[in-house]
Amino acid sequence: MEALIRALSYKGIPLWRHVQVVQWTTQIVSGVLVVVLVVWFFANIGNAIQDREIPSGFGFLDREYQTPIGHSFLSYDSSDSFLYAFVVAFVNTLLVSVVGVILATALGIAVGVARISGNWLVSKIALAYIEFFRNVPLLVQLFFWFYIVVELPVWQDSYSVADLVFLNNRYLAIPFLSPSGLVGALVWVLVSVGGIGAAIFAYRRLIDREVRTGSAAYPILSGFAITFLVGALAWGVLSVATGDAPFSITVPNPQEPFGRVEGGFVLPGALITLMVGLVMYTAAFIAEIVRAGLQSVSRGQRESARALGLSGMTALRHVTFPQALRVIVPPLISQYLNLTKNSSLAGAIGYSDLTNVAKTMTQTAPAVSIFLMVMIAYLVLSLTYSLIGNLYNRHIRF
Amino acid sequence: MLRKKLYILVAALAAMAAILAACSGGLSEEDVEERAQELAAERTAGAMTEADIETRAQELAEEMMAESAMMPTGERLQAVKDRGKVICASRNDVPGYGFLDAGGNSVGFDIDLCRAIAAAVLGDPNAIEIRLISAAERGPTIQSGEVDMLVRTVTWTTTRDAQWGNYAQTMFYDGQGFMVRKDSGIESALELEGATVCVTQGTTTELNLQDFSNQYDLNITASTFEDTEAVKAAYEGGTCDAFTNDRSQLAAIGSGFDDPNAHVTLPETISEEPLGPVVPHGDDQWFDIVKTVMSILIYSEAYSITSDTVPTAKTGETAIDRLFGLEGSFGQESLGLSDTVAQDIIMAVGNYGEIYARNLGPDGINLPREGSRNALWAEAPCTDCPKGGQIYAAPPR
Amino acid sequence: MSSNVQMDPGGMETGRPLPPPRLSRGAVAWLRDNLFSEWHNSLLTLITAAVIGLALFFGLRWIIAGADWAVISTLGGRMIIGQYNIEAACPGQNCFWRPQAILLMTTALLGMAWGVVGNGLTKRIAIAVAVVLSLFALLPYGLDTMGLDVRLLLVANLPALGLGWVIARYTPLRTTKRVSITVVVAFIVALVLLRGLPGVPGLQTVSVLYWGGLMLNLLLAVAGIAISLPIGIALALGRRSNLPVVKLLCVVFIEVFRGVPLITLLFMSQVLVPLAFPENFPQNSLFRAAVVITLFSSAYMAENIRGGLQSLHRGQAEAARALGLASWQTTLLISLPQAIRNVIPAIVGQFISLFKDTSLVYIIGMLDVVEISRAFIQGNTEYLGSAKELFVFLALVFWVFTYGMSYVSRHIERNLGVGER
Repeated sequence: MEALIRALSYKGIPLWRHVQVVQWTTQIVSGVLVVVLVVWFFANIGNAIQDREIPSGFGFLDREYQTPIGHSFLSYDSSDSFLYAFVVAFVNTLLVSVVGVILATALGIAVGVARISGNWLVSKIALAYIEFFRNVPLLVQLFFWFYIVVELPVWQDSYSVADLVFLNNRYLAIPFLSPSGLVGALVWVLVSVGGIGAAIFAYRRLIDREVRTGSAAYPILSGFAITFLVGALAWGVLSVATGDAPFSITVPNPQEPFGRVEGGFVLPGALITLMVGLVMYTAAFIAEIVRAGLQSVSRGQRESARALGLSGMTALRHVTFPQALRVIVPPLISQYLNLTKNSSLAGAIGYSDLTNVAKTMTQTAPAVSIFLMVMIAYLVLSLTYSLIGNLYNRHIRF
Repeated sequence: MLRKKLYILVAALAAMAAILAACSGGLSEEDVEERAQELAAERTAGAMTEADIETRAQELAEEMMAESAMMPTGERLQAVKDRGKVICASRNDVPGYGFLDAGGNSVGFDIDLCRAIAAAVLGDPNAIEIRLISAAERGPTIQSGEVDMLVRTVTWTTTRDAQWGNYAQTMFYDGQGFMVRKDSGIESALELEGATVCVTQGTTTELNLQDFSNQYDLNITASTFEDTEAVKAAYEGGTCDAFTNDRSQLAAIGSGFDDPNAHVTLPETISEEPLGPVVPHGDDQWFDIVKTVMSILIYSEAYSITSDTVPTAKTGETAIDRLFGLEGSFGQESLGLSDTVAQDIIMAVGNYGEIYARNLGPDGINLPREGSRNALWAEAPCTDCPKGGQIYAAPPR
Repeated sequence: MSSNVQMDPGGMETGRPLPPPRLSRGAVAWLRDNLFSEWHNSLLTLITAAVIGLALFFGLRWIIAGADWAVISTLGGRMIIGQYNIEAACPGQNCFWRPQAILLMTTALLGMAWGVVGNGLTKRIAIAVAVVLSLFALLPYGLDTMGLDVRLLLVANLPALGLGWVIARYTPLRTTKRVSITVVVAFIVALVLLRGLPGVPGLQTVSVLYWGGLMLNLLLAVAGIAISLPIGIALALGRRSNLPVVKLLCVVFIEVFRGVPLITLLFMSQVLVPLAFPENFPQNSLFRAAVVITLFSSAYMAENIRGGLQSLHRGQAEAARALGLASWQTTLLISLPQAIRNVIPAIVGQFISLFKDTSLVYIIGMLDVVEISRAFIQGNTEYLGSAKELFVFLALVFWVFTYGMSYVSRHIERNLGVGER
């Protein structure tokens, strides 16, 4: 008996009471259980797909897609493959998501600050904004903006600014830079990016010096000056070297008979609708997060800042906000995820985002495979946001 | 301790392997080969006659057939009878075909076809269950066999016939067309070069549009919407130059425009869209039942029998008496249907013409039928043949 | 507040008496303090006032003169119960009384909550709900579809409220715990009532295919949030645990369900999940959707609760350990109650999102309040032009519910003193 107990003991403690053993056993059992369940689930599905001859697999990916995509940032032609069409649609969603996140953050912070503003009317307006946009389903809001955009004049009667900018219910067209030669343009962009890097470096050094010496060193001014100088210098040198400016400005020019635009940069109405809808909706949530974050900073901090003679805005920027960030960032990341996922409603208002294109694809390719790819694509986007958010979160934690 | 972990891991792997093995059932290729070798061995041993071998081979073949078919012949009819309901996959947002009336009931042309099947098989047109599915779900739904019939404005194409299920009978001939504003002055779809066209995510609407655009080098931009109400607003508001959909839908949606007369449908039809019910692969009897019911609907109209004039006693006209089970047979008993199945169907839902009139004709979305492809091929007995329509089915006899 | 009293710092030194404080009562003073305190505030005030004025003008003009509200009265009760009482769902009977009975049960429960909690917010909400419901009986619209029995049952909400209050005050059911149990029991009774009991006369089974309208949205949201709470707690604890395998599983689950649009999950649940089970296995699309919605919601819930756990001071757990509590006791009795209390607003926010997300069940062919309205106007083209009116109305319907919830949330937040530290 004693031998048995000894055999079943580890470091003198019976196995069933040894914390580590028990913990590891439960973990392994639960892990194996989950893995077995998942394998069983997918094995069953695999078998069923085979038995019932349900089309699946990814052989369609290099076939020609042969279906139109309404708007795309990458160039697309109907003879391109399914895989490329999927990438095109993914880039649409990616850009909507990134630009939407930036705009929504800006608007959300503004509304959140307005919410605790001293101006009664502004504060109440911010409240009304939040309560309206947060509480109405996004789909309904998208239709709301959709009808407003449709009410804009038709393209023949566009609102136009000096024949340079055109706004109508189909698009907003603005003048845009277009590269004259590939090499010149690329070199200029690279040099300019380098200039911005140098500017940021200089800004940091000057801020350091300001803190150390206490005398003004004009960091912001210097940063902008460096950026501008590098850019202008490179422009001049390249113009002389290649005999042509690296970029020329093209002006949008609507064509008869159907108002298609040549030149410039064209934002389709559906994209504007989607962007406005997503930004207004998400900003309402972000505003609440910002408000909660700002209020989570204890009153003493604000009062100390006032006592040190900091003005309201400066106190907000240098004392309250940095502390509030710790509370703000995790839920903010959730909102970025939500915005990205909510962009999948674009099909309702006619924008060709990933989900909309994928749904069209299911008419000529296996639905199961396509939805699997869609899920993975969104997952990759979301995980990237989470990763960036978590890194930033670690960075701002003391 | 490490050892213990190892044991548990091995045990788990073994369990997984066992489960995986259990999952793959049915006759594998090795099984068949093994059986064939057994057969050959017995034969060389001289223990069998040629006839024996024949029967054994037959058995083996049948066994293989049974394994491959999802639901062997005759089972679905029994399943429907046991269930007491016919399950049809359809939709309820298409005017004329499947929509909600003011009372919240699902009605329409497709729904009526489902009701006709229920009346034939169960004697009660209301014994139906409508499963609403999205366009992306149509294939998987009918392939998995979880519904008895798919009637959801599905175009009959060769790929779908091969992959999805069996198309029973074309009940409506549609085709994709274009609608433009009258004041645009456009008279032909070939003038749409460089135009923006609104399109609903439909069956193969976008694909057809692209094909058409490529064929005539029109460089059309498509604006794809999920829903009709958005497309209507976008097109009416002038964000698209044209609107493309199946012609029946163009007519139906156009009648809901603020000013229906300000728009015109262009003469081009850019695709063939024969629509009809689809049944799952694998049950020939069920397939035949659906075809027969469709034939009954069509021939009742040809014989001018409506729901009010269904004969319950001999009329003296052989063809009519045969159809309504008053004399002879047209094969209904071998499909497991009652002798008077046609009476049940026509009394419950009316003939093809009545169904058309109720949903697609004057009482529905008002599509003209006279002279179109959806007229009957002829009256029978016919005096001024042919009438030019294409609605035709296997004659019931 | 700071500008209420004008200080005279020099007054003390000169020995002169302080001037009387400037009064800040009255409309003018209020306006000055709140709207026109400084020049930029005044500008802001004027601009926002102009914007609101214009929006109100155009909005009201459209609502009164431009819009055609016929589609709302035509749809009427369909928006609330979907196809529940159509002939195909409920052959030979009128099943409309069943949702109404559930409504009465709900008001009775509200009455009980009022009775238990006493007064304040609960009382106001309970009375408001009952009064509004009984006022529906006076609606002029759809007189033919809305019979006298329906109207009487709506008015019966008032006595039901009173009955609930009396029960919670004068019967053994007067503790919070017992009322909570009653709520759970009532939810199950409501489900059984909706589904029907085979064999019981008057309670024939109504297939879930016909459940719809606002009823379906509320049902899915309530079930989703209630069931996702325990799952979310488990996931949050799992994610914070120091057992690597458990942690990994929880992280994977949370990130996968949070990272994918609900619409694709619902689609997969409809197309793939049935394949994992044998062909004759009884399947129910609504049940599958409810499971997916619940799992999706629990991933979010887990993150909310994790946030609450993180906000707790380490000292709490250490003090508990010092008192000799085991780690599970610390978690259950010390950490969790505080964490959940801290994130109640976040949970309410989650509930609001979930409620709005339930309209995605259209992807599995369920006719929730949004989908039945849209299907109706798409199928009956004479109403196609009424899409704007319909969406405005739907926005209002959702807004009433979600605003109510966020109102409650803010009330709780105030009571807990969040943001008042």
